[in-house]
Amino acid sequence: MSYALQTLLHERQRYASGVLAVTFSAVLIALQCGLLLGLFKITSIPIDQTEGRGNSADVWVGSTGVPSVDLGKPIPTSYLTRIAGRPGVGMPELYIANFGNFTKPAGGTELCFLLGTLLDPDSLGAADVLTPELRAALTEPFTIVVDESDVNRLRLDHPYGKPKINGKEVKLVGTVKGLRSLAAPWVFCSLHTARQLLGFLLPPDHVTYLIARCDSPARARAVAKELREQYPDDMTAYTAQEFSTESRVYWLLRTRAGIALGYAALLGLFVGAVITAQTMYSATVASAKEFAILLALGIPRWRIAVMVLTQSFWVGLIGIALAYPICLGLREAVRAKIDVDLRGEILAGTAGVAILMALMAGTWALRSVRRIEPMDLLR
Amino acid sequence: MPAVATNPTLKGVHLTRTYGDGAKRRAALRDVSIDLFPGQLVLLMGPSGSGKSTLLAVMSGLLEPDSGQVLAEDGGDLRDVWTMTPKEREDFRLRTTGFIFQGYNLFPALTARQQLEIVLKWGGYAGGAEARRQADDMLEKLGLLPNRHKKPAHLSGGEKQRVAIGRALVKDPTFVFADEPTSALDWENGQRVMELLRDAAHDRGASILVVSHDHRLLPYVDVYYHLEDGHLEERPLIPAGH
Repeated sequence: MSYALQTLLHERQRYASGVLAVTFSAVLIALQCGLLLGLFKITSIPIDQTEGRGNSADVWVGSTGVPSVDLGKPIPTSYLTRIAGRPGVGMPELYIANFGNFTKPAGGTELCFLLGTLLDPDSLGAADVLTPELRAALTEPFTIVVDESDVNRLRLDHPYGKPKINGKEVKLVGTVKGLRSLAAPWVFCSLHTARQLLGFLLPPDHVTYLIARCDSPARARAVAKELREQYPDDMTAYTAQEFSTESRVYWLLRTRAGIALGYAALLGLFVGAVITAQTMYSATVASAKEFAILLALGIPRWRIAVMVLTQSFWVGLIGIALAYPICLGLREAVRAKIDVDLRGEILAGTAGVAILMALMAGTWALRSVRRIEPMDLLR
Repeated sequence: MPAVATNPTLKGVHLTRTYGDGAKRRAALRDVSIDLFPGQLVLLMGPSGSGKSTLLAVMSGLLEPDSGQVLAEDGGDLRDVWTMTPKEREDFRLRTTGFIFQGYNLFPALTARQQLEIVLKWGGYAGGAEARRQADDMLEKLGLLPNRHKKPAHLSGGEKQRVAIGRALVKDPTFVFADEPTSALDWENGQRVMELLRDAAHDRGASILVVSHDHRLLPYVDVYYHLEDGHLEERPLIPAGH
C-alpha cells in the first residue's frame, strides 16, 4: 500500500470531510445529469417508442431545419416520391405530430400533443406499447389512447362530460404505460383521427413526417445524408437516432430547466471543490513537521507534492466509490415517478470530474507544501 | 575517545548571523569558527537564545549566515555549502546529512520500519526489499526490531526518539545534527539516546553536533563548546563522575 493511501486510511477522520465533499458533488452531478437526460428523453418519446424503439435503420423526413420532433411543420405528402424507390429503402409511412387543444370533461383546457400513425402491426410510427387491441380500437374515428399518468391531468377519469380536442369530441379507448409527458400529454390516435382533429391546422395532402425503414443503419445514415444534400431548402432528413438526439439536445439547450440544473450541478462541484481543497490544505499543514524533516534530510520537495496529489486522487476515488451506490439507490427510490438516466457515460464522466476536482484541490493544497521550511523545526 | 582525524570534515569559518532590524537587531553568531571532525560527538551548550540552534542551522545548510563560510568535505574537497545552488545544497544534504529534532515528527500512519524506508526510497538510496533490509538492520542496532511494525502511537517516547535517530542514521550520513534530542525524554532514555549517538560517531565515523541545555550529557561527548551572546568557546570536558 502506498504511503499516501496508508496515511489517508490512518487519518480517515481528517480526510472524511474531503471524501464526503467529493461524494456530495459526485452524487449531485450524476443525479442532475441523469435527471436532465431522463427528463429530456421524454421529448423524443415519439421517436424512441416506435417499432424497434427508435430503430437506427429508420429515416425521418420533416420540415426544413426541424429541431425537435414536436416542432415539425407540415410537409407535402408528395415528398414520398423523393424517398421511395431508393435502393435499400422501404415504403415511406405517413406520420402526423401536432399540438392540440384538449378540453377536459370537467371543464378547463390543456395543451396536448397528437401522434397520428398507421396502426397496422408493421407500422413504423405507432408506439410499440399500443397492443393489437388498442390499435384495433383506435381505428374507430375520434378515439384516442393516452398514458395512464396523464389520465388524471386530462381529467379523463371524470364520470361526466365529454373530452374534446380542438373542439371535437373524442373518446378514450384505453391507456398505455411508460410514455410520460412534459408540457403536453401525448395523445395516440390514427392518422385519420389526427387529420380530422387538426382540421385546417394541417393542410390537405400534408403530414408532419415521413418515416421509412432502410436495410441497415449505415444505409439509413447514407440516405438521410443524401436527402439532406439533395433537398436542403424544403425538408430535413435524419436517422431515428439522430432525430432523437437532436430533439433532446434542442430542449436541453433551449429550456431554462436545463440551465438551472446545470448551475445546480456546477454549484455542487464548486462547494465540493472548496471543501476538498480546504481538507487537503489542512491535512498537509498538519503533516508539515513530518514533511519538514524529510526536506531537511534532502528529500526533494516534489516527492512530497506527489504524495499530496496521490492522497487527493484517493480522496476522489473513495468519494466516487461512495457516490455510486448512493446514486443508484436514489435512482431506484424514485424510479416509479421519475426516470433518472444514469448511463455509463454519466457515471464515467462524473468520476472523471470528481477526480479532477480532487486533484485540483490537491494542487491548491500544494501551496502549503511550498511554504514548509526545515528551518521551522529549529524555532 | 577514538583517534581523531587530522582534517575536519565540516568547518564553520568566521560565521556571523543577526536577526531583526534597527534597534531590534540582535547578533546570534559573532565571528564564530568551529571545526567538526569525523568520529567526534560534539556538544554545543549555552543558555536559551544564545544562538545554538542558529549555529546548527547555519552549519547544516538550513540557514544562510550573514558572512563567513561553511566548508564541508564533499568528495575529497572542502566546498562552501553557502555558495552551492539551492538544488546542490539539497543534494548535498541528501547525500551527507542526518537530522534529529526535539519533536520526533514521525508520520503517525507509518510503522517504525516505514519511517526509515521512506528516507531510503524517496532519497533514492534503496528500493523494495533492499530498503526493508537496511531499515531492519538499523532498527536492530537501535534495539527496535521487535517494534518494526508498530506505529508511533504504540511506541514510548524513548522508542520514538530512537526511530527518529534511525531515520537520521539509516542513510549512513557524514554529518548528523541533533537539536535537543533528549529534552523530551526521561534520563534513562536520554542516556540511551546519547549512547547511540556516540556509537554512531565512533563506529560509523560520523561528525555529530548535538545542541542541548543538559549538562548531564557531558560524559558522553568528545568535545564541548559553549555559546553565549554569539561567542563560541571550547571548554574542557569534566570527567564522568565529577
